[in-house]
Amino acid sequence: MRIADTLKHANWQLILAAPVAAGILHICATLAAPYLTAASAYSRLAPGLPVNSMQLLTVSAPGAEPLPFMSPDARYAMCRFDTSGGPVTVSSTLPPDLGWSLTVVTPQGDNIYATASVPSRPTPVSIVLVPSEEAFLGVTPEARGIARDVQPPTAVSATRGIVVVRGPDKGFSYQRHVEAVLKDARCTARSF
Amino acid sequence: MERRHVPSLSALTPVHVGLHRLQKRVAILIGILGDWAAFIGAVLILGLGTSWYMIDVGTRLTTEQHGPWVGWTSAGRADADPYTRAHFARLGTLQLTTEIALTYLAYTDSDGNRLHSSCDYNVEGREPGNHWWSLTVFNDRGDLIANAAQRHAYTSESIALRPDGTFAVTLAREASPGNWLPTGGAGRLALMFTTFDSVTPMLGKSEAQPKQLPVIRRVQCR
Repeated sequence: MRIADTLKHANWQLILAAPVAAGILHICATLAAPYLTAASAYSRLAPGLPVNSMQLLTVSAPGAEPLPFMSPDARYAMCRFDTSGGPVTVSSTLPPDLGWSLTVVTPQGDNIYATASVPSRPTPVSIVLVPSEEAFLGVTPEARGIARDVQPPTAVSATRGIVVVRGPDKGFSYQRHVEAVLKDARCTARSF
Repeated sequence: MERRHVPSLSALTPVHVGLHRLQKRVAILIGILGDWAAFIGAVLILGLGTSWYMIDVGTRLTTEQHGPWVGWTSAGRADADPYTRAHFARLGTLQLTTEIALTYLAYTDSDGNRLHSSCDYNVEGREPGNHWWSLTVFNDRGDLIANAAQRHAYTSESIALRPDGTFAVTLAREASPGNWLPTGGAGRLALMFTTFDSVTPMLGKSEAQPKQLPVIRRVQCR
């Protein structure tokens, strides 16, 4: 009798609206979450990285970790790029080994370009970061009737982000080799 | 027999009538406010609660679970779902795309007990094919644990394997023979296992070969 009375007097409009409103709130909260966090990887790394220049990071150590869950199982060279002033050229040659990678990461954490080394051969990487894929980067050698002797760089559209070159830590004996490869990575701004 | 005193109509003054009406209106207002409070509470709990769960814990739609190990299947990808993006934005980590590497985190042992530095653990596994991999111990906030040996991780290149290709790593405060990762007085622990496959996409591979991630066994607690 009491239950029937309660159901009779229940505000069914509000009861039906609750899951709909909760769904809307769920979607909004989920989509807003990446923008509401004050400590994303990009915001933590960006202040310590010069713009459009590759920098070798020190080995991750207790109390001096650049990011949470950043393992000292690898050494990193990073370049914070900004293509608003012109394209940025990135080049590196990953050695014929396992565990090397070069990634282009957006401020939201997406890998918009990623390549990894293979054990059978060196992996040369050459990319041009441009603000828009439609950006005019000059007349190509082919258009001027000149044969190109090197493979053209891959164009990747991105305004801001970080280029990460990762070299696996193989112990003290290989430390210099790993550092030399990371130091060879280039990140250079060009004008339009 | 007791007789109730019922005031006659003539005894109801305008003040009584006014108070009665006010009482009824207040009751209606309280009812409406109660309905709205319940509505707002339900919306907040349902909306924010489910969002938090999907972002923080994840479901089968977004994660891959192997025993205590949890890996987010779209981590670092440009086409990642909003939950994965939000998860790693909150965590503040720089993820490698799952197209080349998969990272698993474990906060519990294989029996579901929280990993803690007051206990010793034995992590046993087999090399995951011809891939580069690493096993790192952190506290549960993702910080490295300070120790005199300056040892925080083992990789496929630094670990001592058994003749049959399996490995065992001891997580303990005190030094231990073999592969030992010091846990100090870190409190709650987290283990990270990263496999790096440059040849085959990790997600495609998961369907063909079931993954065998290390087993985490508690040895003893103090």
